[in-house]
Amino acid sequence: MKSTQYSEKTLDHFRNPRNVGVLEGDNVAVGRVGNPVCGDLMEMYIRVGADDRIEDITFQTFGCGSAVATSSMTTELVKGMTLDEALAVTRGDVADALEGLPPVKMHCSNLAADALHAAIHNWRTDTKIEPMSAEEIASVGVGCGARDATVVEGVDDYADTGVYKRVDDTSVLADKRVLVLDKGIAAAKLALSLTEVTPRVVFLTELDTLGLPEDLIHEIKRSDVKVLFQSRLLAVRGEGEVEKVLIHDLDEDSEYELFVDAVVLLEV
Amino acid sequence: MRDVYLDYQSAKPVDPRVVETMSPYFTERFGNPASLHAVGDAAESALEDARARVAALVGAPNDEIVFTSGATESNNLALIGYANRNKRSGDHVVISEVEHISILNLGKYLEKAGFRVTRVPPDQFGRINPDKLRSRITDETILVSVGWASSEIGTVQPIARIAEMLSGTGVAFHVDAVAAEGQVPIDMSSVPVDLLSLSSNDIYGPPGVGALYVRKGVKLAAVTMGGGQERGLRSGTENLPGIVGMGAAATLSAEAMATEPARMAAMRDRLVAAVLATIPHSHLNGHPTERVPSNAHFRFDGVEGESLLLSMKDEGISVSTGSACSSKTLEPSHTLISCGLLHEEAHGSLEFTFGRFSEDSDVDRVMEVLPGVVDRLRRMSPLYKTD
Repeated sequence: MKSTQYSEKTLDHFRNPRNVGVLEGDNVAVGRVGNPVCGDLMEMYIRVGADDRIEDITFQTFGCGSAVATSSMTTELVKGMTLDEALAVTRGDVADALEGLPPVKMHCSNLAADALHAAIHNWRTDTKIEPMSAEEIASVGVGCGARDATVVEGVDDYADTGVYKRVDDTSVLADKRVLVLDKGIAAAKLALSLTEVTPRVVFLTELDTLGLPEDLIHEIKRSDVKVLFQSRLLAVRGEGEVEKVLIHDLDEDSEYELFVDAVVLLEV
Repeated sequence: MRDVYLDYQSAKPVDPRVVETMSPYFTERFGNPASLHAVGDAAESALEDARARVAALVGAPNDEIVFTSGATESNNLALIGYANRNKRSGDHVVISEVEHISILNLGKYLEKAGFRVTRVPPDQFGRINPDKLRSRITDETILVSVGWASSEIGTVQPIARIAEMLSGTGVAFHVDAVAAEGQVPIDMSSVPVDLLSLSSNDIYGPPGVGALYVRKGVKLAAVTMGGGQERGLRSGTENLPGIVGMGAAATLSAEAMATEPARMAAMRDRLVAAVLATIPHSHLNGHPTERVPSNAHFRFDGVEGESLLLSMKDEGISVSTGSACSSKTLEPSHTLISCGLLHEEAHGSLEFTFGRFSEDSDVDRVMEVLPGVVDRLRRMSPLYKTD
């Protein structure tokens, strides 16, 4: 078996995943886990019966073949179990039921069990997880933002080489990757107008939703502006000119670099 | 239903005409070019004939072609060989962020060996700005290496402009031409490149063979020690059947240049237009026009590349992805990240590469399948919700 090859059973669960979807109503709990490094996100929904049994279970996933297959298999394995029995199911059990997973994929198989455990935890602590909003969806695994421009490292080093405090003529940013910091309505409108001169405009906010008038939010959603929520700009980097920014993903509490050509921090 | 192969960037079939040319060199014409007898003489003349054919493909004199075991070895010989031989002139090497993994890892190797390596980032289309590259060159710079085209996103670099900029400065220019050969004109008589890596399989020759063009006067230290074959630059008895195959492939590739790039571009353009028009929230990665004719590289919001690839595989369609989940390291494509994509965007990419045996009907088959596949995966994705 090739080190990256899937078993027939795994492929079957990938092709015909069982129990895909969401559950609604009473007695439902949701667990949501994601691993931005591997680029996957999983939601597991359980409906719990009077005898503490999992009456119904569904999942949704953004992930690779093994993420889909392990989710599907997990729902089959634990359906009808009590919550304690379900908690005892390990990722090894899931991998065995799938007739093995490629070694490199074992870490993806954590997700399904983690999501199930999160759902059970949320059930027991009566924690409600709302369905993800469009804003949250756009921010998963990513994020940027700047609350206070003065603490952004490197901003003053690029005053004439990629950091803009005002933009009078958007054509200077033509075909550039532009990061616009959320400074309210003026910044949002600038981000929208920049989409006419470049395909890559990233709007960065520390909030988990856009604090803008409804019509502007709607316009941004329909535009090519890529919004990054719950994110903070930590540093601007580059040799002689802006090349990258360092971003703190507040939700994941992780940092990553994003390649950009220009950073706009409007003075308001 | 005929299986569809649109992953020519990963591997190409050997042209049957090439196989036919190679065949006698396994059996009756098996000689060692170094032998002085008649069998050896015949081998030597086959070797030199192949060398002339490869030289002709890139507009080079015959004696500036060195045969290797493939483009990775050519890259090793060019970067390590040049850096080691010329380290008295400086210790600084400049590469781009969008290089093939073999160049990126050679950059890391050279750093461990005591050289300083600067990586020039591309614009959002994956293109290197020659002025930005020039700003990174110092008095200590001895070598610049930029691939002619990206093997992933297909973006073609302004190689002639970079070459002219470096010409006469004393800084050598290496170009990994693997993703461009057979697709864009490559002419060493008019473009002042010093070192050029070539692969046999990428022009429908046998795998396991490649070449390095070394401009006259460019000094390299050998990386492979032995009997001094290939002017001492690449020791080891020549892989004669393979080299003869590369020679035959080079001639066919040169002939095909008149029609093949335009034929591939027409199929590719039709696919790009159909995908962007049919599938909502789909994007073309790489440069809109400055790209090799074989390459179409997409990303689809809310779906993951390996799941796309597996679903296409189930429909008999072979393609590639830049998703981390298909790689052994679980890291997303460095090329896509350096173009400014977020991890989640890089994960949703799918690469189609056309080739000599692609047909127009391949595009139709892809379009029968792909919209449904993307839709199915989006339906189970918590990242994609229409509202």
